[in-house]
Parts: sequence; structure tokens; C-alpha cells
Amino acid sequence: MKAWKYLVAVWMTLVIAAGILIYIPEIPILEQTARNIFFHVPMWMAMFAMFTTSFIYSIRVLNAHDPLFDIKAESAARVGMVFGICGLMTGSLWARFTWGTWWTFAEPKMNLAALAMMIYVAYFVLRSAFDDEEKRARISAVYNIFAVTTIPFLLYVVPRQLMSLHPGADGNPAFSEITAPELRYVLYPAMVGFIALSFWIYDITHRYKTVQSRIENS
Amino acid sequence: MQEDSVAIVDTLTQVYSQKWTGAEHIEQSNAFIHFMYSNNLIFVVLGVTLIIWAVLLFFMFRVDKKVSSLEEKINTDQK
Repeated sequence: MKAWKYLVAVWMTLVIAAGILIYIPEIPILEQTARNIFFHVPMWMAMFAMFTTSFIYSIRVLNAHDPLFDIKAESAARVGMVFGICGLMTGSLWARFTWGTWWTFAEPKMNLAALAMMIYVAYFVLRSAFDDEEKRARISAVYNIFAVTTIPFLLYVVPRQLMSLHPGADGNPAFSEITAPELRYVLYPAMVGFIALSFWIYDITHRYKTVQSRIENS
Repeated sequence: MQEDSVAIVDTLTQVYSQKWTGAEHIEQSNAFIHFMYSNNLIFVVLGVTLIIWAVLLFFMFRVDKKVSSLEEKINTDQK
């Protein structure tokens, strides 16, 4: 066990405690759910970190064929998906009690986030279509490079051009002068903590997949 | 308000309020119990969250160690 994992454990425990305990200003409609920003937003940051990792390893697969790079690209994409699904589910629950509905097709960020998930589902479907390992590694790497380029457009560029209920869409940055400054003291550590946590889960995932592939190929 | 806001009607306390004795006899209880009752029970939420987090962490450390031992095993086998 590496030391940074213990640091993540302690760090995240503090983040969770602080997220629930710190004083937050009274904000109409949001009320105590403003605390959700500490947990909902870092899900997406962790997802971005994982998809970026996946992207880097996909490029490395194309540069030099090493089965390990393919395993790492796949593992990172999987962990990214897990965090993305958490982001969608927490967002949906939060929406019910602030916007008044579990899901609305009038909200671009919500729907485009779901679309981004679908693009990554297609990546795993594509992977399962190949028996030849090298072919699978190369073709899915090319697809993954395409998939990651859609993420900033789906989650940032397009929602800002449209009418939206979501903070950070409809022209305004998600986190701006209208947001209470106290929230930053927990939000930024929470982002760091959840990104580190995603790397930990990714670390376990790609190591187990490496062991698995070595057993299968021996 | 949507149709499903019927759920706002507080059926729980109506039905159980006579049976729920949690808030009774606080005066006689110890400091920990007093602390947990303070601030609209937010510390109970903290407790629940931290229990979940602690169990998840325990699980992650365990899986991590198991993968490490598998790696060691496979490395020594191949030598």
C-alpha cells in the first residue's frame, strides 16, 4: 500500500465531515442542498480526470503497441463512467427538489451529460466486438480519442449557448461571484479528494486487469 | 407542485409519533447523546455518511492488498 492512499482516506474523511458541518449561507430554493455542490460537482471533475487519463493511454497505444496501455485506457474509461453515473444520479435527485423534476428534456447540460455517457457505453460495446487483442486495442483507441473530444463540447460549450436551468450553462460560469465564497473552502479540496480517489480506484482496476490478462495469456 | 407532492404529507410522524420515543428523556442522557441531538440532528447524518465511507474505505484497502498479493504471486511464478 502506498502512502498517498492513506492520505486520500484521511483527506476525504475530512472533506465529507466539512461538507456536512460547515456553515453555509441561506440560499432560497437550494437551502441545505447547496451542500450537494461538494459532492455532485467533484463527480464530474473525477470523470474528466479519468477520461483524460484514458485519452493519454489511448494515444500511447497507437504510438507503441503495449497491452498494458490498452488495459490502462480501458480501466480509466470504466472508472470515469462510474463517476459519471454517480454525477447523473446525484444531479437527478438534486433536480427533483430544486427544479421540481427528476429529469427534463428542456435542460441541455443534463441531457448532453447523459449523451456523453452513451458515447462511452459505445466504447465498451466496441471493445467487446473484437477477439484479436491488438486490433481491439488500436480500433478502440481511435474511438476513445474521438469520444474524449466530444466531452468539453457536450458539457461546457454547447450548454452555455442554450437556455438552461443548470448553473454554468446559459452563459454564466458555474462557479462565479454569485456563488457564496464559503463554498470554495470545501469544494476545491473535495475536487482534489475525489480526483485522487478516482486514481486510487483506477489503480486497483488496472492492476487487477493486468493480473487477469497475464493469467489468461500464460 | 407536481402530483407526487402528496408525499409531502407527513405520514411517518402521524402514524409513529406516539411510538417514536427518540426525543424523550434527553435531560437524563449523556453528553454524547446531547451532542447528537443538537443542531437539528445533523450529526446523525454525519454519522451515517462516515459509517458508509469507513466501510467503503475498509473494502478498498482490502481489495488493494489482495491485488498486491496476486501481483506478487504471479511475479514469483513466472520467474
